[in-house]
Amino acid sequence: MAEGRVTSSFRDPSGYLFTHQGKIYRQINNVYRKDYDHLIESGLYDTLVQKKLLVPHSAATNQLAPSHAYKVIEPERIPFVSYPYEWCFGQLKDAALLTLEIQEIALQHGMILKDSSAYNVQFLRGRPVVIDTLSFARYREGEPWVAYRQFCQHFLGPLAIMSYRDVRLSQLFRVHIDGIPLSLASALLPQRSRLNIGLLTHLHIHARAQNRYAGKSVQRHGSRKMSRRSLRGLIDNLAGTVGKLRWRLPKSEWGDYYHDTNYAATAMRHKQQIVSTYLDAIRPQMVWDLGANTGVFSRIAASKGALTMSFDIDPVAVEQNYNRCKREGDAGVLPLVIDLTNPSPALGWGNQERMSLPQRGPVDTVLALALLHHLAISNNVPLGLIARFLGSICRSLIVEFVPKTDSQVQRLLATREDIFTEYDRGHFEAAFAECFIVEDSVPIEESDRIVYRMTKRA
Amino acid sequence: MRRRVLRMLILFAIVSYFWPSEARAYLDPGTGSYVLQLVLAALLGVAFATKMFWLRIKTFLAGLLSKKPKEK
Repeated sequence: MAEGRVTSSFRDPSGYLFTHQGKIYRQINNVYRKDYDHLIESGLYDTLVQKKLLVPHSAATNQLAPSHAYKVIEPERIPFVSYPYEWCFGQLKDAALLTLEIQEIALQHGMILKDSSAYNVQFLRGRPVVIDTLSFARYREGEPWVAYRQFCQHFLGPLAIMSYRDVRLSQLFRVHIDGIPLSLASALLPQRSRLNIGLLTHLHIHARAQNRYAGKSVQRHGSRKMSRRSLRGLIDNLAGTVGKLRWRLPKSEWGDYYHDTNYAATAMRHKQQIVSTYLDAIRPQMVWDLGANTGVFSRIAASKGALTMSFDIDPVAVEQNYNRCKREGDAGVLPLVIDLTNPSPALGWGNQERMSLPQRGPVDTVLALALLHHLAISNNVPLGLIARFLGSICRSLIVEFVPKTDSQVQRLLATREDIFTEYDRGHFEAAFAECFIVEDSVPIEESDRIVYRMTKRA
Repeated sequence: MRRRVLRMLILFAIVSYFWPSEARAYLDPGTGSYVLQLVLAALLGVAFATKMFWLRIKTFLAGLLSKKPKEK
């Protein structure tokens, strides 16, 4: 990790994040002194940490600060930073409700959230938490909620278009770094969304009001006041509107994958045993399960104490995975929507605000099970490039080779010409040998497939 | 009361229909958000107070009913 100021931490003059000797710290500037003291003295910080809504921190010495600081704190490290364009519908909705719950509790302690950015939320031990300790400001009676627009752009708009139009529209977050513009959300929503009073007002009318008043000056201080009751009414209405948004899971290509494969029960059991034995040999702290589907193998890794990122391209599979994590209180698995053929790039100011997927690695172990044939055959990625990519993101690899004789590969080849003359075991092993050392391999019983354990070459 | 709020919102929606919508408020979306929030919050504040009032009555009645079996 690079030492010094964190490149995404520059918008708020209240303070910023920096790293020192592999640890992450937050400098609190003098300008934020009164607000920070109120956060602590009012009991708001303790309440939020106790309820596991805010990331906890400990005090650090001011001598670490790069410049003059009121205080320096060391927040608990988030093991894997994820972004809204990688979340499924349920995750974004939980993050939205968390933000509103915090806003409500903050108000009871005489504070408000001055930011309601979705990027301020991260997943820690299976739950969303707000990570920006400096998001709170002392509430001044009569003032409107300064983060209202941001909430609509970062949460309500995206959730509404995902719910009413298409869940894949969450990818608009990649283009619009400060949330989806309300005029765009409003244009994308179907007419029937206007029957929802919450969406009609907070999105459609809100978008029109923005256009109506663009470039006009309004007297912001004076007779226009917003009572505490009105503010609570606004938050309550937003929470009700968000709470009612649903996404009904459609039947997906991958959702029934395990029920719709050529796998004999014996083969599936044997594959699970092999993966389990390999994980015991590696003992990773963190695992990225690529093409995880609903997370069957991610759970094996998590059961061994490895924090496991469960990536899949299919929002249905990720939603099912996340729902299961919530149902079973599984804190060791974090499901995320990732398209490996086009993984999250570095984004934002100077392309340095949001990290690309490889920048968040390398991880101890990658699981690439029943994945290669989709990359090599469905997406025409040569085996050598797959090996190089995997080599750039992990230190050890558990990978399954699925030969052409397998019915899953036959299915992929049924509708395309077989131009994949080099897709065989020999070429696979040769391509991967350039980046990895093969430690072990085991053929899966009652199938033509083979699972390998590899270590990245130095 | 809720019906009145609903009627006002619908009226507001109709009025808003006549606002120009061709421009894209990229330069200054904040002013519109500010004005809308004030109008909306005033209405929702009333709705919220009503909701809280009914919630209190409901809790009170629920409390009365749950006490009855104990008295017997």
